[in-house]
Amino acid sequence: MSEPAAASRAPARDAGGAGTGLLLLAPALLMVTALFLYPLGYSLTGAFRGVDGAWTLANFTKSFELYSRDIGFTVAIIGLSTLLIAFFSIAIGGYLTLGENRTAVVILRWLYRWPLFIPFIVAGQLMRAFLARNGMLNNTLMAMGVLDPADAPSLLDWRGIVIAFVWKQTPFVALLVAGAMATLDRSTIEAARNLGAGRLRILIEIVVPQVRQTLVVGLVLSFVTMMSVLSVPLMINAQSPTMITVDMAFRINAYGDYGVANALGFLSCALTGAVAWIYLRHGIRERGRQ
Amino acid sequence: MAGGPASVEFRAVVKRYGAVTAVDGVSFTIEPGTLATLLGPSGCGKTTTLRLIAGLELATEGQILIGGRDVTRRAAAERDVSMVFQSYALFPHMTVLENAAYGPIVDGTPRKEAHAMARAKLELVGLSGFEARMPSELSGGQQQRVAVARALVLEPQVLLFDEPLSNLDAKLRRRVREDIRELQRRLNLTVVYVTHDQQEALAVSDRVIVMSNARIAQAGSPRDLYERPANRFVADFIGDANVVAAELIEVSGDRAKVVLGGIALELERRGARPGPVTVAIRPEALLLSADRPAAPAAPGRIGKAAYLGTHMEYTVTSALGELFVIDRMPSRAFAAGAEVWISLPGTGVAIVPE
Repeated sequence: MSEPAAASRAPARDAGGAGTGLLLLAPALLMVTALFLYPLGYSLTGAFRGVDGAWTLANFTKSFELYSRDIGFTVAIIGLSTLLIAFFSIAIGGYLTLGENRTAVVILRWLYRWPLFIPFIVAGQLMRAFLARNGMLNNTLMAMGVLDPADAPSLLDWRGIVIAFVWKQTPFVALLVAGAMATLDRSTIEAARNLGAGRLRILIEIVVPQVRQTLVVGLVLSFVTMMSVLSVPLMINAQSPTMITVDMAFRINAYGDYGVANALGFLSCALTGAVAWIYLRHGIRERGRQ
Repeated sequence: MAGGPASVEFRAVVKRYGAVTAVDGVSFTIEPGTLATLLGPSGCGKTTTLRLIAGLELATEGQILIGGRDVTRRAAAERDVSMVFQSYALFPHMTVLENAAYGPIVDGTPRKEAHAMARAKLELVGLSGFEARMPSELSGGQQQRVAVARALVLEPQVLLFDEPLSNLDAKLRRRVREDIRELQRRLNLTVVYVTHDQQEALAVSDRVIVMSNARIAQAGSPRDLYERPANRFVADFIGDANVVAAELIEVSGDRAKVVLGGIALELERRGARPGPVTVAIRPEALLLSADRPAAPAAPGRIGKAAYLGTHMEYTVTSALGELFVIDRMPSRAFAAGAEVWISLPGTGVAIVPE
């Protein structure tokens, strides 16, 4: 074949290759569009449409009028849970990395992942049995003589939701954090020890800063997951104030009010989007620094 | 931290990891203000020994003394010992200044003062102006100097180096090892240095401790180790050596007459008895000539010849066995297959005690 002829056929072959590639991707693209992008877009735009189909902000006005307390409650619950998850996952990862008692490390490594395999609804049910006024926690404390039966509290309120979220999500973040800690150059830990730092100081000043990015990823993913959980607040505390997932379910089931439910959903997306944006900015700044 | 260099003493120290003994009854003393090297092949226990000095490992048995003080059960932070790690172990999220100042800050020194101390040590290692940089912005040699500054800032009694040159290229290696030696002399530090490179050990050390299979094979000055190896392992490990069989025929005081390949030599006896003995011959101690010399010589044939610029390397087959020979006169090259005479002037030859 002459060279010019070969050159003229090359773009045609490239175009054919690209076409085949698109054809191979098409089923996946169709699935994503049909099952994710279309419902998401429909739901988000639905937040800005009235019952007559006209564009309006009335759904948001109504959402704030009825549920501003629940929005604040949701942000507070998830924020507090995220902080506690960060604390416990650092503690677990730190002990797995710096712990000197091998038996304790092995037991902790075996135990801490269990909640990962338990669905949220089961976690909610577990917490009901554990935290109720006549639940296992109070019964145990009463049996030990620590708690008077007359003073036994019920933790089935905001505290129950936080405990359930922290119990369920800590293993996931701890798994990521412990993995990142395990890949650290151990000589940095030994260098800090050699310079006189204790284990807590090493954890805070040497280990955590090096796994910060992984920790933030885990927390952002946890934040998004907790924002979307309905079963836990529904089972532990469905009274006011409660989380906006419960409100969304109520608007649809009781009134068929998709407009307000969509507006609340939009606010959830905005909150998780804001957190994701903070994470992305942080990641870009970190990479720029490195 | 206490001022002045300190001695390091090991008394029958043992370190076991389960069934594995990494250090087996090791005893030595390193004098204050000297540079001692722990030398040996991979897995011989040299790094574990260094980590035992640093307190990063605790001895299973025995006693470790630093400056005459028993530190066997003391934590790393209580030993007044600083270490420069093989990978430098710089904190990647801290600047050069923060890295160097970390020790004093942990020690409770106010931040401003700690930074001043760190700046002084960074200046000492030639890194003024690099304070605000991150470790990832430095070359390997510069990172190593930050690690040295960080280790020096607490003015430790003993400074430890774990294979400090292994991540540097060949040219930089020579310069950095000279810098370390110069720093050790200038600051009058006790330095313990781990390496598997015998040339590096010979070049920088006052004293070399050769380790093999978790034990000390020989300890002494570089010249001692090279010229009077205590056993076959040291003879082979320190520089190249031709280990050949010989016959000790006559003993006179501390001298011995030895015959090898028909050549008679008078050597230091080193406890050997009449009968078969092992002799180590350094490759540069063997002289090659085309014509039979006046001195006793054995015939041989050149097997392989390699030109290395400053010298020639030969493999010679002879009555002494197959010999590795270094000839410092590359202008007088023998071709492979050439017949030669091998003579031994006497230096660079030693009986190896069995």
